[in-house]
Amino acid sequence: MEQSATIVSLKEITKIYGQHRALDRVSFDLFPGEVHCLVGENGAGKSTLIKVLSGAVTPEGGEIFLSGKAVRSLNPRQAIEMGISTVYQDAELVDSLSVSDNVFLGDERTGKIPLMVNSKGQLDQVRQIVDTLHMNLPVGVLVEELSASQKQMLQIAKTLYRDAKVLIMDEPTSSLGMEETRVLMDLVRTLRSRGMGIIYISHYLEEIFEIGDRVTILKDGGYMGTYPVSQIPVETVIKKMVGRDASMFFSRQPVEMGQTQFEVRKLARGGMVEETSFSVRRGEVLGIGGLVGSGRSELVNLVFGAEKKDSGEIFLGGKRVHVRSPKDAIRAGIALVTEDRKKLAMLGGRDIVENTSLVHNENFKGPWIDAREEQVLTAKIVKELSVAVQDRLQKIEELSGGNQQKVIIGRWLLDDSLVYIFDEPTKGVDIGAKEQIYNLIVALAQKGKSIIMVSSDMPELLSMSDRIGVMRNGRLTTILDNDGISEEELIRHFIGVPNAGGEQG
Amino acid sequence: MTEHNRKNKNGATLLARGKRSIFRSQWFYLLCAEVVIAIITGIVNPRFFTTSNLMNILEQIAVLGIVSSGMTMLIISGEIDISVGANIGFSSCVMAMMMRGGVAPIFAVLVGISLAVFNSFLVGLTSRVFKAPSFITSLAFISVFEGIALAITKGSFQTIYGMFETIGTSRLFQLIPLSFLISIGAYLLVHVLLSNTKMGRRVYAVGSNPTAAFLSGISVNWTKLGAFLFNGALVGVAAMVLLSRIGAAQPSTGSGIELRAIGAVVIGGTPLSGGKGRILGTLFGVLLMGLISNSLNMLRVNPYFQTVTFGVLIIASLAVSVLSTYRKRARVKAVSEGSVEQ
Repeated sequence: MEQSATIVSLKEITKIYGQHRALDRVSFDLFPGEVHCLVGENGAGKSTLIKVLSGAVTPEGGEIFLSGKAVRSLNPRQAIEMGISTVYQDAELVDSLSVSDNVFLGDERTGKIPLMVNSKGQLDQVRQIVDTLHMNLPVGVLVEELSASQKQMLQIAKTLYRDAKVLIMDEPTSSLGMEETRVLMDLVRTLRSRGMGIIYISHYLEEIFEIGDRVTILKDGGYMGTYPVSQIPVETVIKKMVGRDASMFFSRQPVEMGQTQFEVRKLARGGMVEETSFSVRRGEVLGIGGLVGSGRSELVNLVFGAEKKDSGEIFLGGKRVHVRSPKDAIRAGIALVTEDRKKLAMLGGRDIVENTSLVHNENFKGPWIDAREEQVLTAKIVKELSVAVQDRLQKIEELSGGNQQKVIIGRWLLDDSLVYIFDEPTKGVDIGAKEQIYNLIVALAQKGKSIIMVSSDMPELLSMSDRIGVMRNGRLTTILDNDGISEEELIRHFIGVPNAGGEQG
Repeated sequence: MTEHNRKNKNGATLLARGKRSIFRSQWFYLLCAEVVIAIITGIVNPRFFTTSNLMNILEQIAVLGIVSSGMTMLIISGEIDISVGANIGFSSCVMAMMMRGGVAPIFAVLVGISLAVFNSFLVGLTSRVFKAPSFITSLAFISVFEGIALAITKGSFQTIYGMFETIGTSRLFQLIPLSFLISIGAYLLVHVLLSNTKMGRRVYAVGSNPTAAFLSGISVNWTKLGAFLFNGALVGVAAMVLLSRIGAAQPSTGSGIELRAIGAVVIGGTPLSGGKGRILGTLFGVLLMGLISNSLNMLRVNPYFQTVTFGVLIIASLAVSVLSTYRKRARVKAVSEGSVEQ
């Protein structure tokens, strides 16, 4: 790596969302002709850092230098003019246009006749780029005919045409096979040798050690340092990604567990979840962890009947139950508190009574609404979960995030279920409400319910779960007993870096 | 927040009842506008306040009211049916032809209403099956219904003078039009359905957030189809009342009523996005339409301008609802910012 001036340099960047520090004094710099990797857990601040770089968000503190010159703020236009381009996981391409038309989109070449696009000229120019990089990319076909990796190549070709100096690659290999990944790696090396600066984000540490020059580690928005890849062992990187203060952990009461109450056998759906079997005992909390996109939510949606399963059986209390829809699941005694309450759970514009009594009225009542009963039940939930509300006419969207979540959870408490599934139960919830939700989950376990809790929050998984199931690439790779597992050990399982002692799966 | 809770007489704790300012409900503005219009028209033309004129207005808005009630429920569920006018034309032609052919009126009416139900169901079914917006499928069905009606009537008037007049022309105590009472029945029915039944809760839930409704065990498709069936039944009733009042039917009978019905629903504060709205607003929306139409006649305004007025009215009502949500947003923001500091 030549020691020339940096292309981009960020000094002590801080970005605050509400009360949450998404980035806390993070520094990052990039030289031409290097691959600088960015690693961290889900929610460590990688995406936010990328957004700062591409001008999508403005940081509250810190300095940004472009080619050594300080700039006060970066807007998307400046970022593009400076030659910073991002290759996203979901390519932003127009499916109904050809490869070369996509490269020139918004900047079409005109030929001799005014207003007419010079398609041939465009084709030739794109073919030249593709050839010099030895890409396997047909230039004349429509984008909808391309494979995932070819789409990625196209995005890269596009940035090269725009003369980008900085290429940001966010999880570029997540949808690629082995061979395609190898081709992409070669391409990245070619680009590096041409003096481009590449920011490479990946969950897969082996890729980073294969291709990276330097690596910057983030944890919970904090800066854990930048190291040359050749001088830092994998173990150290993992250690720095995790390892939190004891204060981040919740200490829950132990609950005596009973017999197996809930069992899933060989549940599968093609392309989403591979054959999965597990069981949960009465009073047990089974945590489900894994990286974003590993199939955790998909698994619980299959269990709940929100997605159609291809095969598999579900047993409750030893009896087989047929779950073809959420209605079947609810009737059988399975409750699902979904992730993303705004999209999947809240009835916007409706009051808290209607939101609280939704499941009860639909599944456990006759055709008439008992207005008095639903008032009483709502008041009971409001009291039990100490929801801060003004009156019964208040719309759910007028509540704070934590209180919204409590109403949504309360919806499932009105009628006894046997199995409670929580998908990211404390996402976007303040600390106080978080503890209440934890206590509530433990209280449910004490009543002999079986709990399945999907979470991206590692302290949450480790402090709440009796066992932790690890999902990777749509597969439940292993179920660990939570007796003193360290964060480090857990993340090894998530990203699939084998242990010194060897690991199954 | 326990200070807001109170024990009710049976000892159970309830949440505070909560009061919402009357100035935030759309129907209040409508009522004000209606009073103002009535007073002005009455001053200019004293004949406005005669009983016979007022009863005329009620009679004139009866059909619109029945159609708008069904439309309210449909729009709350997140769907729409712009083929209701053509549906009325089609089913009233069938009713009239059967009566002319000697079929007993009661039987003809039953067949006509069933046909209207079936038609509306088709609009909903095609929309759900082909995953197309019901706006589009109902648009297509306008020409289907009109075309069939033209084909069976060969484009001619189907007069039934003297055969079926009771419903459209009789008056209770020689005063209140029966057709108006039927429309009040439709409003009440929709009101009870929306606020007191599981079906009503489903309609609101499906309109507000279909995914959340599905994950709570509600069948989104059946709820929406149910709203279409119900809408069809009311369209059939409206066709019956209209046929009885006019004493004749033709394929274009009822055309244009879809726009006035949707207009009345929107003026009444039910947004086209679904999930919100009350029948009370629709009632006042329909009343406003009838009132304006009548007072423009009384003031001897060129009838062509009446159409213009309806358009302006819908725009004005949108302005009112945007303003009130704007104010509400400002309040919500203040509340949520306040709660952060707790």
